[in-house]
Amino acid sequence: MRLTFAVGRIPIEIVVMPIHQVPHSRRQNRPPIGRRARSAAAVVAGRASGALARRLRLGGGTSLPGLVANRLDPEITAYLGAQLRHGCVVVTGTNGKTTSSGLIASVLRAARLRVWRNREGANLARGITASLVIRALPTGNLRRGGNAVAVFEVDEASFPQVMRELRPRAVVVTNLFRDQLDRYGEVDTVAERWRNALADLSTTATLILNADDPAVAALADADPLVNTIYYGVDEAPAALLEGTAAGEIEVVDTRTCPRCHGPLTYSVRFYSHVGHWACPSCGFARPTPAVRARELVADGLDGMSFLLETPSGAQEAHIGLPGFYNVYNALAAAAVGLALNAPLATTITALGSFKPAFGRAERIAVGERAVRLLLAKNPTGMNETLRALATGGRIGHIMLALNDYPADGEDVSWIWDADIERLRAIVGPDTQLTVSGVRAYDLALRLKYAEIAPQHVEPEIPKALAHALAQTPAGDTLVIIPTYTALLAVRGELERQGYAPHYWEQRDVGA
Amino acid sequence: MLAHNQTADGNAGPALRLGHLYPDQLNVYGDRGNIITLRQRCRWRGIMLDVLPLQLGDELVPERYDMLFIGGGQDREQDEVARDLREKKSAGLRAAVEADMPVLAVCGGYQLLARYYRPAVGPELPGAAIFDAWTVHSGKEVARCVGNVALSWRESTLVGFENHGGRTFLAPGAEPLGRVLAGHGNNSEDHLEGCVYRNTFGTYLHGSLLPKNPHFADYLIQLALQRRYGIDSVEATLAPLDDSAEWQAHRAMLQRLGVS
Repeated sequence: MRLTFAVGRIPIEIVVMPIHQVPHSRRQNRPPIGRRARSAAAVVAGRASGALARRLRLGGGTSLPGLVANRLDPEITAYLGAQLRHGCVVVTGTNGKTTSSGLIASVLRAARLRVWRNREGANLARGITASLVIRALPTGNLRRGGNAVAVFEVDEASFPQVMRELRPRAVVVTNLFRDQLDRYGEVDTVAERWRNALADLSTTATLILNADDPAVAALADADPLVNTIYYGVDEAPAALLEGTAAGEIEVVDTRTCPRCHGPLTYSVRFYSHVGHWACPSCGFARPTPAVRARELVADGLDGMSFLLETPSGAQEAHIGLPGFYNVYNALAAAAVGLALNAPLATTITALGSFKPAFGRAERIAVGERAVRLLLAKNPTGMNETLRALATGGRIGHIMLALNDYPADGEDVSWIWDADIERLRAIVGPDTQLTVSGVRAYDLALRLKYAEIAPQHVEPEIPKALAHALAQTPAGDTLVIIPTYTALLAVRGELERQGYAPHYWEQRDVGA
Repeated sequence: MLAHNQTADGNAGPALRLGHLYPDQLNVYGDRGNIITLRQRCRWRGIMLDVLPLQLGDELVPERYDMLFIGGGQDREQDEVARDLREKKSAGLRAAVEADMPVLAVCGGYQLLARYYRPAVGPELPGAAIFDAWTVHSGKEVARCVGNVALSWRESTLVGFENHGGRTFLAPGAEPLGRVLAGHGNNSEDHLEGCVYRNTFGTYLHGSLLPKNPHFADYLIQLALQRRYGIDSVEATLAPLDDSAEWQAHRAMLQRLGVS
């Protein structure tokens, strides 16, 4: 069997000789080709391809072992996944997947479990396969007898396939917003795919859903027999909700009841369609969440505090992540903790000690300066990032970067749906604002129509970053708001200069 | 700048009213960018642009507007909108169009203003039949038309992004908005994009359309001013703006598509 594919621009060819083609003399006394042999071959080839890609410094290639292993054994994911002694937790949704999985891993680790995760950016089906393959032995068995729990963040489009291959003990769905319409399709289409994927969930599994997002809460309809834990925010201070809609059309991604399509009403709306909703036509309403937050307090860019209430008690919690939306990520993690019987005190400690994940409010020291990376890849993500920034007052140095590669979404229309006008509360007369990325000119135009004038427009990210850093005085922070591949470019540049760890070294591979 | 004389409304300076059809249902692909652009380009010239939503159930009374905009939405919402358009707004819309009101219809809105939309399964959806054109969706197996697009338009170009599953075909004699220089356009076959009838413009271009095409935005504003204040009036004279940022973004896209 001959596998050819390309990593970046470099073509790779792997020739695998199936066992029945090996000359007879060399396969004496071998067991008949079976499940294990096929899986073992897949693991060996997958791991070899990964090692090769890394040796050749092809970069990125984090899904390669999965791609190769899956070609040799299409059932490899299911086979290895079934060996996980503590099962796996799958996290999907539009926003908050990475941070939620990071927080969940933190909680489970604090509960003394070994946690395996998929690598940053490897959240398509083959990335999940890769994360299992690199933890398997040449025998086709998981390392350490599979004595671990896996936490996988899964791209919303890959979710159905991953659900077919794995039998997760818990599934978390964070929210559903419009994102990359050119790639994922409209929100209704995504919700329908998720519902179908959840129909086959094992009855022993726990479904963990955001009660405040009607499209997500309705996913419990997919299988009424499944145990469901809802999480939600009970109340939020008005100060955290300011700055919604700049007198324009407000973009809300779910307006109608997921059950009867009647119009939804809200007693309180936190952002977009997230809040305390009800459908007057059919009576469907926000379910009462078991895991709740109230008394939210923002601590600028440094974090959020809130009272965490669960069936096992209530306690003050703090996370080192800014923004209202990160409270939801913490609640998702607390709900997983509840589902897997982690004590509340353990959960609180784990949440508090969590360090921001890759580009999600991540802080990197650059000499005497600091860079704060805040990924924003869709209108709601951008709106909430800007709102979180606004709680900290004016910011001296900001860089925005917009790319339109497939991983960003090729359609940049979304910047017009985002409330970029909110930057007016953050940008002062002395603010140095740099705009970059492949679509820097589109972004500069969006700012112009929000009546914000950038000082510097430079499509090339390394140049723009150098300029923005040079403008940032020692002791100050440069806030960077990039799309996904722009984040990779910024981080890549900081890595090259020796300031940030390589992203594939950042996660707990092999632990 | 324009003379800030008193108008019939008693306001300083000219004023325009933009009817925004179904802002809650049809707002999927950056349609808000078109409204923001029209509003700001008016504002920067001292023209007051009032954006008036035309919701489900509202009657369309042509005398209340100088300009209309209709955007694109999700499939489910489009059915509901199509019904409302037929039952509540088609007579008013027809009257506005025939009276040369500038109307911009983007993506789903464009499809709704044609004769019909034929889905892969299910009955044909009749549209407002402003455009002598129709749309056919051949099903999920047929690739969507997705990507950046450039057109020739009058003596110039238009750039945008398209994302549509349906293919639109113009009847013989129907006027296209432009010829496709790069991208798919109406149907990926005949190199035509959009449709024009009187001052009504249908197009698949979003991205958003108007920010990077300031000449098209101004053309719509100009038509509305001329219609309201008379073709040679002071109010209908558009003061030039500094559009260097707009043209930079426009040209960057042309360059990328190898059109220039």
